[in-house]
Amino acid sequence: MTRRTTSPESQRPARRGARASQVGLESRTRAWLRHHRAMWLDSAQRLAKRPLSSLLTMLAIAIALVLPSGLWLALDSARLLDAELDESATVTVYLDTRLDERAAMEVAARLRDQTPVAGARLVTAAEGLAEFQEGVGLEDALASLEDNPLPAAVVVTPADTDPDSVRVLASNLEAVDGVDEARVDLAWLERLRRLAELGQRLALALAGLFGLGVLLVVGNTIRLAVESRRQEIEVVTLIGATHAFVRRPFLYSGAWYGLGGGVLAIVLLVLGGHWLSAPVTALAESYGAHFTLPRLGLGGSVLLCFCSTLLGWLGAWLAVGRHLADIKPR
Amino acid sequence: MIVFEHVGKRYGGRSEALADINFRVGRGEMLFLTGHSGAGKSSLLRLIMRLEKPSRGRVLVAGHDLDRFHLSQIPYYRRQIGVVFQDHQLLFDRSVFANVALPLEIQGVEPRESARRVRAALDKVGLLYRETALPIELSSGERQRIGIARAVVNKPSLLLADEPTGNLDPQLSADIMRLFEDFNRIGTTVMVASHDLALITRLRHRVLRLREGRLVGDEEAA
Repeated sequence: MTRRTTSPESQRPARRGARASQVGLESRTRAWLRHHRAMWLDSAQRLAKRPLSSLLTMLAIAIALVLPSGLWLALDSARLLDAELDESATVTVYLDTRLDERAAMEVAARLRDQTPVAGARLVTAAEGLAEFQEGVGLEDALASLEDNPLPAAVVVTPADTDPDSVRVLASNLEAVDGVDEARVDLAWLERLRRLAELGQRLALALAGLFGLGVLLVVGNTIRLAVESRRQEIEVVTLIGATHAFVRRPFLYSGAWYGLGGGVLAIVLLVLGGHWLSAPVTALAESYGAHFTLPRLGLGGSVLLCFCSTLLGWLGAWLAVGRHLADIKPR
Repeated sequence: MIVFEHVGKRYGGRSEALADINFRVGRGEMLFLTGHSGAGKSSLLRLIMRLEKPSRGRVLVAGHDLDRFHLSQIPYYRRQIGVVFQDHQLLFDRSVFANVALPLEIQGVEPRESARRVRAALDKVGLLYRETALPIELSSGERQRIGIARAVVNKPSLLLADEPTGNLDPQLSADIMRLFEDFNRIGTTVMVASHDLALITRLRHRVLRLREGRLVGDEEAA
């Protein structure tokens, strides 16, 4: 570390000098670790000395973290729902109305033999009418009709649920004898996917913005801390402290703020999850779906804390770097 | 130990703070730097501490051209210089012991070794019994002595003092100067900036006289 300059160690009497050069790197590493440990503790104590203002800073960080991570969680659960929907993606094949029930069964069998088909279920015209009546509640109106206006249909489950291959399958199915029309209702599924994609981008943009917000919050707090310890910085600079030495306690403060913010964000997410879970489950049930709010889990929590600590550290680094340049010993 | 070659220093557009300064200081010498306030004493010390670069000329300390130092080397250079300030520059949020230990902490000296050296330095300035006190509890003379203890705790080869007796009465000033002479006796090069002419003449050391940024006198020790 002492490059061209001779260290004071070497200028001391030989008795000590020999020992000093022997321990060189090892003792310097030990000193470095010792200072890290000391600053780690010291910065935590400084934060603890002013609990309210520290807590407010952490809370500001936590709020900035909750929004994007909450949105991300919601989208994650939407993806799960999406996978469930994929399984229900089907092609409805309407058969020629002139076919009788036996012919319809034959067509259904043919459809079942098509290559990318996982399954095909025949809904006869009569069954279709019954389902329709049940679902729509127009029993009286339909009962007054003389003939059943509905065609027999085959509900085909594609083996591959990718929208494009489903579309190809549908056109293939349409070519089968006795098939009137194959209808794919993918539009809503695609819309949902687009929406999820939009949400994801939104979450990323929000994460970027709020991450910047965290940097600014920490940066401002550290700027004030640097200002309040200006004299100390000047003195240690005068007596030979390196930039790294001066920066260290502030970097640890920033990391502590970030970690505290991350932990508070997790608490807020858990509390928010509890608060919302009952109405969300009820809402999902009203649509006949099983949906519970997702949890962050251990991995997510650790990741969130890691990111927030890193952001805090980075914010402090930027702020100290920016303000150390201003501080010149008088 | 210190060599100034045609050194000039100009701040912004104002007139020169220092102009064409030439002198040499040998290793183990003790000397005073005197002149009215604004004569350039502090500027000269700041150049030696490498807080500033000269606008012209060269400053060499212990054989190193200070202009050639990379920014990252400056801290290590400063560790070889002990500096005593007029306003002592103690940190009021920590004890006397911690203040004196600061240079050793920066250099990463082992805590036990550090404690031993801090106590030796405090003993030297006669304030060992005050090690747990806070600077606020001390008198100004005591604070200045703590400042000196901090400057010498890492046994620097060069000791600089900028008006170290500025706020002290004559008796305390004489005590402080005697301390500097003690350090000089064990081989430390000592350079003291002071405008206390009465004290300086009594002490019979080499005196550099500055007037309006120029070296107007270099009187060898009588």
